Amino acid sequence: MSDRRLRVAILVLSLLGAGIAAYLTAAHFADAPLLCATGGCETVQRSRYAELAGVPVAALGLAGYVAIAATAAARAELWRAAGFVFALGGLAFAGYLVWVQVGVLDAICQWCLSSDAILVLLVPATLLRLRETR
Amino acid sequence: MSRKTLVAVSAVAALALGGGLAAALALTSGGTSTPAATVTGAGRLTTLLDGIEQHGTVLGSPSAPVTLVEFADPQCPYCAEWEARALPDVVTRYVRTGKVQLRFSGMTFVGADSETAFRTALAAGEQGRFWNVLTLLFANQGTENTGWVTDALLRSIGDSVPGLDTQKMLDARNSAAVDRGLSAAATLAQTAGIDSTPTFAVGKTGGTLQVVRLTSFDASGITPALDAALSQ
Repeated sequence: MSDRRLRVAILVLSLLGAGIAAYLTAAHFADAPLLCATGGCETVQRSRYAELAGVPVAALGLAGYVAIAATAAARAELWRAAGFVFALGGLAFAGYLVWVQVGVLDAICQWCLSSDAILVLLVPATLLRLRETR
Repeated sequence: MSRKTLVAVSAVAALALGGGLAAALALTSGGTSTPAATVTGAGRLTTLLDGIEQHGTVLGSPSAPVTLVEFADPQCPYCAEWEARALPDVVTRYVRTGKVQLRFSGMTFVGADSETAFRTALAAGEQGRFWNVLTLLFANQGTENTGWVTDALLRSIGDSVPGLDTQKMLDARNSAAVDRGLSAAATLAQTAGIDSTPTFAVGKTGGTLQVVRLTSFDASGITPALDAALSQ
């Protein structure tokens, strides 16, 4: 796949992820109810696991997606490596958060799962871009 | 650096980043101070109770015309069955609509776990979350007197209740106010002559309550009594 296509794919996916994370961050600060089909979003969003040292986990996700989008704009190898590090690091953290939802809170947040799905796609896209393109 | 090495180094850095974030969150959320226990029903019960007034052990509007008192032991399996099968309907149709206020009167005759559980729920009541913790205790009930009401379970239950300060709840379990709540419930059960659980009493709020013999553990076992009291 050409670098241009990969960059577009990474940009679109990371902006989608940023949109979800921005919505969750805004709802966190506004203490507003979430649109939620799974019924567990509020439980997850208001749990002790929703903040890390006072920073909403959703805001960390937003920062991560913005960073990945920024790496898509750059061509240098170091930036491509950074995109992969953020995507795989995000997915590893997201894996822990899925365990928290299922194993500790018994509540599923559909927005978090949508974000996880985006990360699952971003990891191979950023890896391909790092390995295949020059 | 070769491409392969760069990919390997990036992967290690990524896993360190993700793992570091997970470890930091586990530490700051108290998740590693005691092993986390799995809590069943948190999402469902949060939704069931969300937005309904709670004052101590009372669920629902204080001005509801009818009062339903539930005498139950957190360790009694039949009480857990009633909570699972009947409570959602009773709450949705009678409590949420402002017709009935539901008061829990705890009994602790089964054993030590009963008192630990009821004390914790009473402590959560100081934060307006008595029913959240009580219903989660029933939903996660273990075998009688096996020590199933562990701090790890209580911490996980507390953590899954929106807006509840878990540490504050755990610290308040032996407070004078909780002692008073425990003895008030014991006195009420003794005065009413309650000797088995679950037992229910229904009547006009502020009036004399009548003990109801349950015909079923689903909502239909109690709703005729509630409808009769409402139509009085």
